[in-house]
Amino acid sequence: MSEKFHFPEGLYADIRIEETLSTGVCMLNGDLTRDSLMPETGALIRVYDGKMWYTASTNDLSEIQKELDALAELATPDPAICENPAIRLLEVNREERLVFEGENKLCNITRERFMKTLNHYVKECTGEPVPEVSSWSIGVEGTYQKKSFYSSKGSAIVYDYQLCSCGVFYCLTSDGQQLNGGKQFFGKTPEELLGHEKEVLAERDRYIDYLKNAVELEPGEYTCVLSPITTAMFAHESFGHKSEADFMLNDRKLRDEWVMGKKVGSDLVSICDSGELLRHGYIPYDDEGTKSRETWLIKDGVLTGRLHDSTSAAALSEELTGNSRAQDYRKRPVVRMTNTYLAAGKDSFDDIIADTKDGIYVYMVSNGTGSSTFVMNATVCYRIRDGKICEPCRVRMLTGSVFQTLFDIDRVGSDFEIFDSYTCGKMGQMVRVSAGGPTIRVRKLQVG
Amino acid sequence: MAIREKHSARRRESRITFEENKPKAFEHINSVESSYRVYENDKVGIFYSIGEIDDEEGFARAQADPERARPYPFTPESGGVRKRDKSECEFTDRELLATAEEYMKYLTDNYPQFTFSGSVGTEWLEQSLKNDLGIDYVNTDASAGVGFNFKHKDSTDLRDGGFAFNVRKFDDGTIFRTMADLYLGNYETVAEIPEEIIIVMQYYSLTGGIMSELNAESLALGSSRLTGKVGEKVFSEDFTLEHDATDKEAWFTRFWDGEGCVIPEEKLVLIENGVIKTGISDKRVAKKYNVPHTKSAGHNYGDLPYVGGLNLRIRRSEKTMKELLAGRRAIIPMNATGSPIDSNGDMSLLVSTSLLWDGDRVLGRLPEFRVKANIFTLLGKDYIGVGSDDMKAFNDKAILLRMERV
Repeated sequence: MSEKFHFPEGLYADIRIEETLSTGVCMLNGDLTRDSLMPETGALIRVYDGKMWYTASTNDLSEIQKELDALAELATPDPAICENPAIRLLEVNREERLVFEGENKLCNITRERFMKTLNHYVKECTGEPVPEVSSWSIGVEGTYQKKSFYSSKGSAIVYDYQLCSCGVFYCLTSDGQQLNGGKQFFGKTPEELLGHEKEVLAERDRYIDYLKNAVELEPGEYTCVLSPITTAMFAHESFGHKSEADFMLNDRKLRDEWVMGKKVGSDLVSICDSGELLRHGYIPYDDEGTKSRETWLIKDGVLTGRLHDSTSAAALSEELTGNSRAQDYRKRPVVRMTNTYLAAGKDSFDDIIADTKDGIYVYMVSNGTGSSTFVMNATVCYRIRDGKICEPCRVRMLTGSVFQTLFDIDRVGSDFEIFDSYTCGKMGQMVRVSAGGPTIRVRKLQVG
Repeated sequence: MAIREKHSARRRESRITFEENKPKAFEHINSVESSYRVYENDKVGIFYSIGEIDDEEGFARAQADPERARPYPFTPESGGVRKRDKSECEFTDRELLATAEEYMKYLTDNYPQFTFSGSVGTEWLEQSLKNDLGIDYVNTDASAGVGFNFKHKDSTDLRDGGFAFNVRKFDDGTIFRTMADLYLGNYETVAEIPEEIIIVMQYYSLTGGIMSELNAESLALGSSRLTGKVGEKVFSEDFTLEHDATDKEAWFTRFWDGEGCVIPEEKLVLIENGVIKTGISDKRVAKKYNVPHTKSAGHNYGDLPYVGGLNLRIRRSEKTMKELLAGRRAIIPMNATGSPIDSNGDMSLLVSTSLLWDGDRVLGRLPEFRVKANIFTLLGKDYIGVGSDDMKAFNDKAILLRMERV
């Protein structure tokens, strides 16, 4: 396929073509407010002369060669471009990996199948009036993407990905208090999304109980037991972003701080990123054509890896990891996570709680960020006393030092889960990712 | 009889990106997206297209899938011809490259103890609406956007701060140099956190939050914190919030809403001297909840409109920022993370890096601290105001708010 493009001499070039179909139906308080079918096709063309990347995007695939030639005019050819360290590292892969075919390929899934799932949840989850539910929305959506990649080094890759999701969300009010909550689940077809109504209703009832009964908590340092979804957010936001190597290329301080082999956490902590998993961060190849692989960022508390694109891997004399990703065909790729998780341990959830005399169980968080001090915003928490989960308590923010917290993890559960509900933002680009982890216990976090 | 309508946006972007002081990429984007709509029998068929497409094909495809025709029991808007061009110049790539290089040179020459990443880009956008009922609206605008993050060479964080601004044409570099000097000139001086915490910031995240609370559907269903408060004085006497489609300081805003409606005078006062005047609605919400139709539909090319998409402005004070501060000092947060606002309107904020500002100069960098605030008191007793002058640190208007340190 790459033979159909004429790549310029003395330059590296690649072409990424994306064909995307997004569809979905959504009901808001009984009104159908979304009923979309949105196809989109576009290409990003990149040219590199050893100094600068020149990129152009187009929706007209017949213009690709013209755009490629125009970019080549801007660049300065270098006969030794193939010897450039970053270009030398780039892999040459040729594979067609189309997983989604037949009646369950999104373009063949009828609107009726989406509506059937939507109507099922409308009936099951909003059928009976609940006084605390002041507003609700239910959406069933699907996205399919076929990505093709061709490079002047000879890569020719085609792969596809598809994900459907259903979200049931409530706005709950009681005595002037308000809380938003809900549940989202994922599958490859609308039918795979069925069967979660009991979880949805249980979650709704949990949030109603929390809304009515949560008590204020005295801010301070507490032992915290983090639920799997909270651990997942910690692994991604608080640690994962720091492992993206594009921030440390010429930064002596950061490079000294992030020396491979350095002990950075408790022996119980291992964190991995892998684009190979068929989850929300699945990319069999990254946007430079590098094959995805498993990269252990921390293994048994020791720093063992970081995430790279070709530029960062060449600058730090390390191997490619397959983490060069772009939001879409309008954007150039940068170093990004894929499926990132803190690996499971051996403890049961019950044992972790039973072993905690005084602390907080963080059941749900809404978002988080990671600087030297990381922040996670908690939405549902419970007090732990004498090894038992007790009353719900209001916690707005959990903060801590990233590295201190990694050392303070003293229990790691076996109840590992991966969550597909993430999109991650960096440098103005959003990409789909997943994050995972088990229940963990942290000896102390600042809770307030 | 079917009525045909086309919404479209044609965009050109160029951007030069820097990583760790070096130019990394030069990017070009050209795109056109269109939404073809066919209204018939209280329904609308919609076809979204990205890339060039023949109009007849677009309308045919909007009509082709009757199953997907959405309920829309409203008459599309009629109107005339109006074209508004807010752009002030035509940017060239040559000018962009020269300006970007000049900016980076200034940073590296004057502040070698930092590393810089960011971008300088230009964007031209033409948005239009045309239908069978005579509407032929076009809004054109262009801006240059400049944004740099910086990291001190001794810092172990990925980012210590950043600054950004937009202009409709590049000046001689004064805006950039002034901003860079403000943020970086005294960064290495460690200042003391003042007793009274006054935060100075751009207010768009705040007004975005208020907009969702003013959604008439949320007000009607009780899912807004402002439910039952329309007509009541909730905020400070000095706080007035309005939608202003004429706003010259806003970028790429259209004068019509997502349903083609134009507000009389193109302004809508939502909160006046602290009193909530109205919720906001599109046609669906106005009809369903029997509330005034405020012509506040957001633009949704792929589907039905939704409530939102307003250009909200807080009315400026007659006093300058310095006069509002009255000898006090304010804090410019650079890295700050806030908790969501809870049901009581309470929120917390961790301010990791920030600068202390006396109304003219930055006095130094502050250590990390935490504050708490309540949305009602923040815009009530703790509201100081939006200055009559722009703040040089943002090249934009800014709001002064008191918060409580915890």
